[in-house]
Amino acid sequence: MTGISGRRRERFPGFDVVAQASKWDPVTAGSVLARLGPQPDVSFFTPAERAVAAALLDQLLGQHEEPLVPAAQMVDARLAVRQTDGWRYEDMPEDGQAWRDSLSALDADADGRFGSGFVTCSPKEQAALVQAVQDLGSGDWHGLVASHVWSLWIRYGCTAFYSHPQAWNEIGFPGPAYPRGYKNPGIDALEPFEVRDAQPSDNPVRDGA
Amino acid sequence: MRGVRARNESAWLLPNDGTRTSHGLRRGMREFADDDEVDLVIVGCGAGGSTLLQRLARAGWRVVALDAGPFWDPDADWVSDEAGSHHLYWTEPRVIAGDDPIPMGSNNSGRGVGGSMVHYAGYTPRFHPSDFMTWTQDGVGADWPIRYPDLRPYYAAIEQELPVAGEHWPWGDPHSYPHRPHPVGGNGELFLRGAGRLGITAKVGPVAITNGRFGNRPHCIYRGFCLQGCKVNAKASPLITHIPDALARGAEVRPDAMVTRVEIDERTGRATGVHYSRGGVARFQRARMVAVAGYSIETPRLLLNSASERFPAGLCNDFDQVGRYLMVQGAPQTAGRFDAEVRMYKAPPPEVSTEQFYETDRAKPYQRGFSIQTVSPLPITWAEHVAAQGHWGPALREYMSDYVHWSCLGALCELLPQAENRVTLAEQTDQRGMPVARFSYSRCENDRQVMRAAQQVMEDILRAAGADEVITIDRYAHLVGGARMAADEQHGVVDADCRSFAVPNLYITDGSVLPTQGSANPALTIMAVTARAADRLIAGARAGTG
Repeated sequence: MTGISGRRRERFPGFDVVAQASKWDPVTAGSVLARLGPQPDVSFFTPAERAVAAALLDQLLGQHEEPLVPAAQMVDARLAVRQTDGWRYEDMPEDGQAWRDSLSALDADADGRFGSGFVTCSPKEQAALVQAVQDLGSGDWHGLVASHVWSLWIRYGCTAFYSHPQAWNEIGFPGPAYPRGYKNPGIDALEPFEVRDAQPSDNPVRDGA
Repeated sequence: MRGVRARNESAWLLPNDGTRTSHGLRRGMREFADDDEVDLVIVGCGAGGSTLLQRLARAGWRVVALDAGPFWDPDADWVSDEAGSHHLYWTEPRVIAGDDPIPMGSNNSGRGVGGSMVHYAGYTPRFHPSDFMTWTQDGVGADWPIRYPDLRPYYAAIEQELPVAGEHWPWGDPHSYPHRPHPVGGNGELFLRGAGRLGITAKVGPVAITNGRFGNRPHCIYRGFCLQGCKVNAKASPLITHIPDALARGAEVRPDAMVTRVEIDERTGRATGVHYSRGGVARFQRARMVAVAGYSIETPRLLLNSASERFPAGLCNDFDQVGRYLMVQGAPQTAGRFDAEVRMYKAPPPEVSTEQFYETDRAKPYQRGFSIQTVSPLPITWAEHVAAQGHWGPALREYMSDYVHWSCLGALCELLPQAENRVTLAEQTDQRGMPVARFSYSRCENDRQVMRAAQQVMEDILRAAGADEVITIDRYAHLVGGARMAADEQHGVVDADCRSFAVPNLYITDGSVLPTQGSANPALTIMAVTARAADRLIAGARAGTG
C-alpha cells in the first residue's frame, strides 16, 4: 500500500505509515486498513445531503486535490449507526438531525447569497459561506447556535480525516504501535521507521499559515 | 510485593504467554440465578464496583456485579488506534446544559468491565489532607465526614495493587511508591526542563503503569495509546487488577446487563434487588443488599429513575440531594512549539506532574488551586486543539503538519462543588425507554480564576523550556460527586461508609460520593473510598450490624 500520497508540503519525504502494517497486531490492522478500502454504501444522508456534506467537509478539511480522504462517507457511516460522541447540547437536536438541519441551512445560505446550491457554488463562494457560520460565534444561525453547529462539523470532520493513514503521512505520525512499542523516546530521537521533518523551522504559527 | 499477592492475586491469575485474558477463569466463573438471593448485587464494574466485588468475594460473600457493557478482552476488543477505540466510551444519549456545558463520552465516561479506568491516562495521585476539610480550612466547598488519615491505609494498599510508579512524592502527605519512576519521553523532558528553570518542583509519576514485571503483567512498552485501552496489560484497570481475583474467589461478573431500576419493598423500605435488561430481556436479580457504582452521571440517573411510592422524587432523594454537587475539573491544556522534534505520542501521556500549586495560596485572589501534568494528545485530539484556535481548511492542515514539534501540558483545576451543577432527567429516553440524564454545569468566578492562573503557569513552563509559541484549549476532565457523602441526610446521599441514609441496605460506591475533588485525578481515591467501605461492610456483617 505504498504510494498513498497527500504529502502536500513533503515535510516527511518517503514516510509511509502503511508500509509498517505488517508490524501491527491483526485486530488493529483490520480496523485501520478498512479505512483504505471501499467504504460502506451511504445510508443516513440522502444523495443530495451527501453532496452538500462532502463539499462542506472538503472545505473544512482543506481537501482541494486528489487523493481525498472520504470524510463524508465516514461521517455518514457513523450517523447511520448512531455512533455519537455520547452527548448533545440541550439546544441542538440529536447529531443526525443536526447534520440534516445544518446542511439544509447551508444550502439555503448559498441560494440566498449566490443564487445556487452549496455544491454548485465555486470553492471561493463555499469558503465564504463556511466562514460566515464561524464568524457568528455563539450567535443564532437558522435557529441553531452557530458555535454548536461548528463544533459538530469540525468534530466529525477531524475525527474522520485524522483517523486516515494518508493524514498521518502528512503529519509524520506512525499510527499503531502494538506490539512494537517505541524504543527511542525523547527530543529529536527517531525510530528507524520514522522520518525526520524536512522543514523543522517551517512553523505555521510564527509564519501565519 | 509478596504481601500484595496474598490479598489480591489478580496479576498472577493473568496469562503469561503473551495473551492478556484468562479465558479459563472466565469460563469457570460462578453464575448465580436471578432468583438466587445473593448477598450483594453491584451495579457497575468500574473503579468502585470492581474493588467492592473483589473485597467482598475475598470475605466469602456471594456477590455479582452487573455491567452495562462488554467483558473486554484486550487482545480481541481493543486496538492501537484512536478512532477505533470509540466503543470504550459510554456514548448513549446524554443532554448537556448550563453556562459551561461539559462534553461527555471519551472525555470522562467509560463502558464495559473496568469502567473509565480502561481509558483513563493512568495518573493515580492521592488527595491532599486539605481536600477533606476545604470548608473549615478555606471557607469553600465542603468537609467530608471522614479525614485523610481514614483513607491513608487504603491509599497505600491500592497503590500496591495497581501498582503505582513514581518518584518520592513531596506534596500532601509525603509518601513513596512501590514501583520506580518510568523514564520520560520528549514531552516529560520539556516539562522537567521548563519547571526546573522556573524553580517549580515537578516529579515523575504517579502512574499506575508497571515498571518491571508485576505478576504476569509485563513492563510498559511506551506505546502512547494509554487512553485507548492498554493492550499490554501494563496500565492498571480493574479488569486486570481486581476482577481476576474476584472471579477466583467465587464472584460473578455479568456483562451486557443494563440496570434500569433498583427495587424497594414499600413495606420494609429495604432494597430487594435490581431490574436489568440483558439481551433484550427484562430480568430481576434478587439481593440482600445493593451497591450502585455507575459513576457520577449514571448513578444519579438510576436513582432518579427508581422513583416509587415511598420515594416519589427518586430513590434516596427525600432532601433533593441526588444528582447535586456534581464536579468536573477545569482541564485547560497548553501546548508549546519547538523547532526540535518532540513526538509526544512516543511515551505514555502520563509522565510528569507538579502539585506545587495545589493548595490555597493566601496571596492569590482565589481559593484552592491546580496541578499540572503532561498530556500527549494523539492526532484526532490534537486536531481539537488546532481547531479550537479557529483554524479550518488549509490552515488546519498546515498547523496539523507541525504535530511532531509540539509539547502539551494539562492542568487539573479544582472547581468548587455547587448545588445547581447537577443531573436531572431529560424528557428524551434511551432505546429502552428510560429517561436519559441531563447534566447542567456552570462555573463560578473562583473556578474561572483558577483556570486562568493554571494556563499562565503552563505557558511560563513551556516558554522557559524554549517554546516560541503557545496555544491553549479550555476543557474539562473527570467527574465526581452527584450523590455525595455527608454528615447527615440533609446534606448528602450517603454516610461516611457509603451507606445511603434513606435505605439501610443500599450503598453507593463510586466517584459520585466524593464531596470535593482536589486537583487530583480521582481513580485512586474512588478505589480507596470503596476499599474502606468494603472493610466497614465486612466488619459490620461480622458484628451482626450489617
